[in-house]
Amino acid sequence: MLINLDNAATTFPKPPSVRKAVAEAMESFGGNAGRGGHPLAMRTSAALYSARETVAEFFGAMPENVIFTMNCTYALNMAIQGIMSGGGHMIISGIEHNSAARPAAELARNGKITLSVAPVHSDDEPTADAFRSLMREDTKAVVCTLAGNVTGQIPPWKRIAALCRERDICFIADGAQACGILDIKMSDGINILCTAGHKGLYGITGTGLLITDGKYPIKPLIQGGTGSSSLSLVQPELLLESLESGTPCIIGAMSVKAGIEFIQKHGISRIRSHEEKICSRFISRLHSIPGAVVYREQGASYAPVVSFNIGDIPPELLAADLAEKGFCLRAGFHCAALAHTQLGTKNGTIRFSPAFFNTEHDADALANSIKYVLDSEKYQKNY
Amino acid sequence: MTVCIVEMPSYTYAVKGEKLLSSRGYPCKIKRNTNASPGSCGYSLFIYRDCEKAAGILAQYRVPYTNISYGGG
Repeated sequence: MLINLDNAATTFPKPPSVRKAVAEAMESFGGNAGRGGHPLAMRTSAALYSARETVAEFFGAMPENVIFTMNCTYALNMAIQGIMSGGGHMIISGIEHNSAARPAAELARNGKITLSVAPVHSDDEPTADAFRSLMREDTKAVVCTLAGNVTGQIPPWKRIAALCRERDICFIADGAQACGILDIKMSDGINILCTAGHKGLYGITGTGLLITDGKYPIKPLIQGGTGSSSLSLVQPELLLESLESGTPCIIGAMSVKAGIEFIQKHGISRIRSHEEKICSRFISRLHSIPGAVVYREQGASYAPVVSFNIGDIPPELLAADLAEKGFCLRAGFHCAALAHTQLGTKNGTIRFSPAFFNTEHDADALANSIKYVLDSEKYQKNY
Repeated sequence: MTVCIVEMPSYTYAVKGEKLLSSRGYPCKIKRNTNASPGSCGYSLFIYRDCEKAAGILAQYRVPYTNISYGGG
């Protein structure tokens, strides 16, 4: 028995249609996109463009502004380093993943930018106020997750984006935990959306996206072959070639396209509602376990992720014992130094993150197993 | 008969241009251009009628191109 409840890391299993798309891409799209005029290259180029179109339509963007990357971390690094290359002030939220916090902190440590961290409260008003009060004349960009990866908290990002728009500040959104769960459109005030292709979008690992509205030029992180202006030693300025050097993961892009089509077929609100039901079920079962702490606050909104602890039991220990029973859960600090500092966790948490293919039965099975494990001598004796 | 060849800066814009023009009744096709200028990506839009109007549509929708040559065969 294997029950994957670590879908916030990467969704598994992938939908059959995604697996089929990957197999088809392996068989049919073996050329290099945008390079060469032979049938294999032309067929592959057309396929990759169709993937861009699907992504663009899903997020309300232009196909030429959809950049395939290897993951969300890469996209965030491109956005943060590319936008802040000329220096200035940047604000990140207090629940950012290290994929945003580390590149921002590195730029600040090297004296290239100044950095502020805005706390995320349970209520929207003080969170929006915190961002507003940190905005300055030289603030160039704000990075805010659309749903935190530790607790799933959804900050009031539309309000923050509106504040940015009023002040001509670039709003960079980390959609890794939100895309495929929340209905997100660039017109919501997002200038640059960075996301994973392999989480809520159900593509394969090694896929990510940077989607821009084109308003703020992004200095490329890397340069190289783009299939265009080949005789020039200068990187093309035109999107998307300026940001997509080298051969993209075409098979991965086709998996993301199939993943998005899967979401469209089932409906984003239905998927969210299904996963929320599983979370609610699990939380209600946790409440019957003595010492259970669920990291959720009144007034806050959450994506379908539940972070919890049981008393003083080290989360890694409990997760390891549950893993032996076939439950896949992520314990520890979840690559999120800021969020765990804000939560004040000592050893981190255990994160429960269902996806489309989980059921409420999985939540029950896990809760029963937690009770069973806690009744064992090891836990009775030590905790 | 090919009326004109529009050299494109990227494959992405070539497809964008092709879709834009085809949907408006201008027959065209993406082909690899053997005489592409250095600034091009090597892909061109071969437009088969009303080339000036078609080029105007590309400009109107901000689809960039690097060169346009008339009178292909």
